[in-house]
Amino acid sequence: MDLTSPPPETHPWVLLSYHLPREPSAPRIALWRRFKVLGVVRLQTNLVALPAEAKTREQLEWLAEQVVHNGGEAGVWLATAGSQRQEQDLVASMTADRVAEYRTLAEAVVQAQPLIGTARTTAIKKLRREWRDISRRDYFPPPAKEVISRLLDEMARSALDGAVGAGDIVGVATDAAGAPS
Amino acid sequence: MKWATREHMHIDRAACAWLVTRFIDADAQFIFVADPTHVPKGATAFDMRGAEYSHVGSDCTFETILRRHELADPVLWKIAQIVHEADIEDGRFDAPEAPGLDAVLRGLSLTGTDEQTLAVSKPIFDGLYEFYRRSLLHGREAS
Repeated sequence: MDLTSPPPETHPWVLLSYHLPREPSAPRIALWRRFKVLGVVRLQTNLVALPAEAKTREQLEWLAEQVVHNGGEAGVWLATAGSQRQEQDLVASMTADRVAEYRTLAEAVVQAQPLIGTARTTAIKKLRREWRDISRRDYFPPPAKEVISRLLDEMARSALDGAVGAGDIVGVATDAAGAPS
Repeated sequence: MKWATREHMHIDRAACAWLVTRFIDADAQFIFVADPTHVPKGATAFDMRGAEYSHVGSDCTFETILRRHELADPVLWKIAQIVHEADIEDGRFDAPEAPGLDAVLRGLSLTGTDEQTLAVSKPIFDGLYEFYRRSLLHGREAS
């Protein structure tokens, strides 16, 4: 039996094992924030994982460097799941985290619907930024990603149409001035 | 002087290579390696774990080089903000240019060699430098 090859259809993962001193707390908080931005999945108390890509590997390497710099210990590893099932569980766990974030965002989009004018355009900007932040750490995009993107595009279009509506007088004026209709 | 960094350059390394050539070592030669242990003797390593110039605290490598060489040019620090946000994305700076520039550099690294990325990114960063130089000079976006 081949003991070293990964099961078929599994993907490489990059892992960060780390240990930080309990005090001071600032580096722990900074690390926790980065984990949140990157959307890591936690395998064990001091072990997190991301799908291995040039970018994720690089980001975890910098975090490892930072942990060591702050008096801790850290290692970056490339790994594959021992079974497809184990990987599926990992992917499901990451996807569930993102789906929860998209759901919160979807609620905010619904709540923003009645807004008009500047409040509407400001809300769209903020919601789009949140969408981008989530989609950056969304390694296995659920359908919610595209659904919300379309909702926001729709919202932006209606806001623009609204703006055109306010400037309609200009349009009417040019029409009246003999512009071809 | 020889400078070494990881292969498949992205924005931080490409920006650093430009910075080094234009402001620190006009005759700089760049070597791209797969692993930090492959850095040849005598070469200055950057943007790798354990390299001479690398991420320090919250700084990306571009910022580290600026600090180490006491380059106070505000235009370079403006570019540093973009590189920082493209590379680390921690929201420290307001740099709406970052995702766009990052996409351009990633596309280059997907379609060509590091030597090509180096060649193409030089006029890109030269142009950015001039754009922000004029913008800072006139207090509004250059056109």
